[in-house]
Amino acid sequence: MEKVKVMIVDDSKISRTILANHLSKTNFEVVAMAADSAEAIRLYQEHNPELVTMDMNLPDADGIECSKKIRGLDPDAKIVMISAMKDASLVSQGRAAGISAFLQKPVSTNDIIDTLLLLCQQKISKVAVLRESYAKAFERALQQGILNLIGVQSKINLETYDKRYVSVDGIAVIIGLTGYPVGRSIIYMSHDTMKAFTTTMLGTEDINEDEMNEAVEEAANIVVGRGASNINDVFKDKEMRITPPGTIFGSGIKIASPKLTTFKLTASTKVGEIFMNVGFAEGE
Amino acid sequence: MDAKLVNPFIDAFISVMPQIGFPIPKRTKVYLQNKNITNFGVAVMLGFTKQIRGNVVYNMNEDTAKFIASTMMMGMPVSEIDTMAQSAIAEMSNMLAANTATNLTALDLEVDISTPSVTVGKDTQMKISNTQYLTIEMDLGGHKVDIAIAVDRDV
Repeated sequence: MEKVKVMIVDDSKISRTILANHLSKTNFEVVAMAADSAEAIRLYQEHNPELVTMDMNLPDADGIECSKKIRGLDPDAKIVMISAMKDASLVSQGRAAGISAFLQKPVSTNDIIDTLLLLCQQKISKVAVLRESYAKAFERALQQGILNLIGVQSKINLETYDKRYVSVDGIAVIIGLTGYPVGRSIIYMSHDTMKAFTTTMLGTEDINEDEMNEAVEEAANIVVGRGASNINDVFKDKEMRITPPGTIFGSGIKIASPKLTTFKLTASTKVGEIFMNVGFAEGE
Repeated sequence: MDAKLVNPFIDAFISVMPQIGFPIPKRTKVYLQNKNITNFGVAVMLGFTKQIRGNVVYNMNEDTAKFIASTMMMGMPVSEIDTMAQSAIAEMSNMLAANTATNLTALDLEVDISTPSVTVGKDTQMKISNTQYLTIEMDLGGHKVDIAIAVDRDV
């Protein structure tokens, strides 16, 4: 398993060393240690750690100010405050600054590890929930849809997609998702696959480009509609709706969807590979 | 397409853009089109559901996209349409669509908006309607942004 990157912010060299020793025996890797706020901000940008441990007393600012600045750079930053004092006022100010958890010195190895694990699991489980409950509903819809539309069995591979954009050469049908969770789906394939797919779907080779585009658009509409229905069947209190399709054709197309958690589904069929990318905005 | 549904899009553009640091935009042309949209370089698509269904595309060339991204990032120079620039353009589109939704509410029409898709690919084709769609050309400080709209009341 990949190690989770941690940055330690503490003005005391001894405290930093103790904490780094605790963490060295675990799944965490200390990638940076900062002695003051300015250094913390510089090192955060340089190393982009997944977790930060923050001391309250720093020579050039307090830990809350420093946390605010880090959260200003990265609103998703996960910060644990480790301080000698821990009272209600500190906790409420800290929460307002976006600090996730509070621990009091001296911290036991178990406490710090449990807290850090919990924080990174929140991140892990959010993606896991989207994958299990939402992406898989589209996986079933894609498989059923291909079978119903062209009578072909397919093998589907589902993976978390972390590239910045989806690259398309051929055709892409974008269908927006509204309600919960909000997002978008893209069904895309090469021009050759589109040709094989549509001739099989319509049972004739006598079709022009416009008709092929329309057939893929309709197929995408059916698949995405079915995926949304699969989701609505399970989550009866929340309704997902789909927008009308928008279709893009050409080569060298890049489709970016900033801030979405996306999944790539690859359906391997005898007519070629049919791709689907579903992306969801996190939270409501 | 119902002409009444067009003004909420235009009004949103004119009211939102100056709030995020742009000069006051001017509407230069409005016309109906049958053909596909040709991507000028960067085109952002968002979909609508509920009482209004359809899509809107904000279409611009790369220079305009860079100008928009740079203005939104407080004048930071933007030399390519990278992740930051894509985020800035997506964020602008979100604001425009959200404001359009508010304007539609004033017409007693409730809508939900999808997340934006930023498509990069000059001269690639986009189709958002089986029939006609409307293009509104906006002038934004000497830069041209086309708003292509294909929306209808859900009956």
